[in-house]
Amino acid sequence: MGEERDLLAGLVMELRRGTLILSVLSQMSEAKYGYALVQSLEEKGVEIDPNTLYPLLRRLEKQGLLESRWETGGSKPRKYYQRTAYGNEIYRELKSQWKRMALGIEALLEEEER
Amino acid sequence: MTGREQELIERYIYQVTRRLPKDQRDDVALELGEMIGDMIEGKGSTAEKVLTELGDPARLAEQYQDVTHCLIGPEYYDTYLWFVKVVLLCSILPVLAAGVVDAVRLQGAGAAEVYVAAYAMTESAFVLYGILQAMLNAAASGVTAFGAVTLVFVILERQKVKLEKKRERKWKVEDLENTSAKLFSGWTPGALSPVPNPKARISRGDCIVEMVFTVVFGGLLIFAPEFFSAVFREGEMYTVVPVFNLDLWEMLLPLFILSLGVGLVDQAVRLAAGVYGRLVLVSNLVCNGISLVLSVILLKVTPLWNPNFAVDLQTYLKWSMDESVPDFLLRFNGDTISNIFLAIIVFAVLLDSGTTVYKTLRYGVHTLN
Repeated sequence: MGEERDLLAGLVMELRRGTLILSVLSQMSEAKYGYALVQSLEEKGVEIDPNTLYPLLRRLEKQGLLESRWETGGSKPRKYYQRTAYGNEIYRELKSQWKRMALGIEALLEEEER
Repeated sequence: MTGREQELIERYIYQVTRRLPKDQRDDVALELGEMIGDMIEGKGSTAEKVLTELGDPARLAEQYQDVTHCLIGPEYYDTYLWFVKVVLLCSILPVLAAGVVDAVRLQGAGAAEVYVAAYAMTESAFVLYGILQAMLNAAASGVTAFGAVTLVFVILERQKVKLEKKRERKWKVEDLENTSAKLFSGWTPGALSPVPNPKARISRGDCIVEMVFTVVFGGLLIFAPEFFSAVFREGEMYTVVPVFNLDLWEMLLPLFILSLGVGLVDQAVRLAAGVYGRLVLVSNLVCNGISLVLSVILLKVTPLWNPNFAVDLQTYLKWSMDESVPDFLLRFNGDTISNIFLAIIVFAVLLDSGTTVYKTLRYGVHTLN
């Protein structure tokens, strides 16, 4: 029983991992700091562990999709991330890929239900 | 936030950042501080709960690093295994063979008696001891060879990782519009090499056997040239008449090694190619050409043979057999032997190159583009 749950958890995690980058990129048209991003994703029902999110943000920055700057004006320093022009292009492309994929999967699943 | 909580957070951040490259530490530390603080505030939680949720700092540090966590990846693994096997055979067997020859020779040369007296050993125990020593040496050289091969492949793996990253970046810039499958790799079906005719395949086993023999022979030449000797036993006395001119061995050995090395290169090319083709053909012709030249030098130019061989042999044979010397021994001289060997070598080289040329032209794999 425990094995089955582990397997399921692993599969769900893999599904989520595939959509993670798209989810994050979608929220980054305006500059946001990490925790605000966690909250805005959670509000929309997308769960993400902060311990995956923060390293992911750095990786996306390294790949040139996001840029960051430290804001020291507030009560404590915060790092704000935002999509770059390159990030915008990639995001648009990813989005259309996702839509096509979602349609395909939807068709597959409906066929199964009928 | 209490002092204890602050302390816990600092410890946690330290445990993460100490595992990261120096240039990232400060930035990540700030970021983690921000994240943990926000999580505590956002959830109205305690530092302990938040840190538990974040989990083992080692795992978190791993997330921050995108290095490959393996020495040799799947792309190189198969080749690596093959190399390890071949190199292990080539490093262990010659050392073992030379060691065993040495042990037996020492026993013959009377060294055993010293040990027998000193350590109260029997003579066979002395030989066993020598063989054990040889096995230890072989094991040590095996470990060294294994390490060396692994090191080379680790470097290959790292370099490849770098190369691929460069390529990926280029791809993204050039092919932004291109969303088809081509984006995922530069491979096209046109790059497939044709299925070789079964007769064009080069047996890996043959190559390896030949390489191992070459290396064993080379090992004996380097470490135990006395192996190539005629040995007579007269009561307790052994007499060793070496075949080669060991007085000039320092000059002769490099030529031998060079010749064997050329042969090894040729076999390695065959092993890597796996089928007859232009590469194997060229390598075979070049290597055989060099071998032939070296053989002529060794056999006809340099004083390869022990000049006293015939005389010594006659002396000892008469001594031990007390018979009239057979005819062929009287006719024995270096020149005759050299000519016979040269004839055999020329024949072998012609046969080998001839086979290669024939198989390449008849069945060989020719790349069309």
